[in-house]
Amino acid sequence: MADVLGSFEQAVLIAVMRLEADAYGRAILNDVQARLDRDIVPGAVHATLDRLERKRLLSSKLGSGTPVRAGRARRYYRLLPAGVRALNDARSAVDNIWRGLKWPLIKARSIV
Amino acid sequence: MRSQSSTAVPPRWAESLLRILLSSKDRDSVSGDLLEEYRESIVPSLGGGADRWYVRQVFGYVVRAAWMWGALVAAILVTRDLLDMLLPIHYTPGVAAPRSTIMSWGLIATFVCGAAWHAWRTGHLRSGLLVAMTTAAIGGVLASAGTVVCLAIWHDPATMRAIQDSGGLDEALWGVPLLLIPIGFIAGAQGALVGKLAAIVYGCSRPNTKSA
Repeated sequence: MADVLGSFEQAVLIAVMRLEADAYGRAILNDVQARLDRDIVPGAVHATLDRLERKRLLSSKLGSGTPVRAGRARRYYRLLPAGVRALNDARSAVDNIWRGLKWPLIKARSIV
Repeated sequence: MRSQSSTAVPPRWAESLLRILLSSKDRDSVSGDLLEEYRESIVPSLGGGADRWYVRQVFGYVVRAAWMWGALVAAILVTRDLLDMLLPIHYTPGVAAPRSTIMSWGLIATFVCGAAWHAWRTGHLRSGLLVAMTTAAIGGVLASAGTVVCLAIWHDPATMRAIQDSGGLDEALWGVPLLLIPIGFIAGAQGALVGKLAAIVYGCSRPNTKSA
């Protein structure tokens, strides 16, 4: 298995997959915020997207701008086959860790 | 409110700072994402506090660009302090000891490389200088904190005497960290110039590969 993805990287990749043709920076930010249920700094998402693109798990292309962005282009991201493989590996790693346990866990008994 | 927020303008200086700092590849897309978030989510929810939010985000990009170089500067300074504490040498006034020379050139090289890298990436001289100055600030704060931690661990009389012989506690805690600002400015300016020249000759790093 190659480099295992961190949970934030997984959240970003899954957001890109879920948003399909609408996967650009701000939409990804909002999706990740909603899924992780916490405030996310835009810089963290942009840095992660840049890193995932350098790892060749994502590709990107420029789209058109909108008036609310003062005409500045959106950068749309797309999951590459290596990104899908990395997500599958991450999911199977978690499944392996949890194998044999029932979820949710019941309260642990104290051992005296 | 929606129509007002869709034309709201964040602090101009902060937006210019952000655009200077971003590579040509990301300049429009990242600043556009931040502007869209500012206008569509932040202004409607925070109102007057939206500008502070925007400035905080830009500050985050600045710190993110310089933290690695700042940590390197701090590591060089703390290593030198540790050597002086644990392996003291006799310093002769007017004669540069090898460890002083190595530290000085290490710091200069870090500022030059950091500034050159960012000026090349962005094609902006000011970007390199901004990163160098932020590197100095981060490096100074981290180095002072690192020295305090070292002092908390090693503070026996022999170590304190060794620190006194190598310039004193004041120099280690704030003298050298403050000196990083002029060093960062001068070395950073040279590095930024090198990076800008590289951007002119070879082009900025990672140009846009695809566009609609």
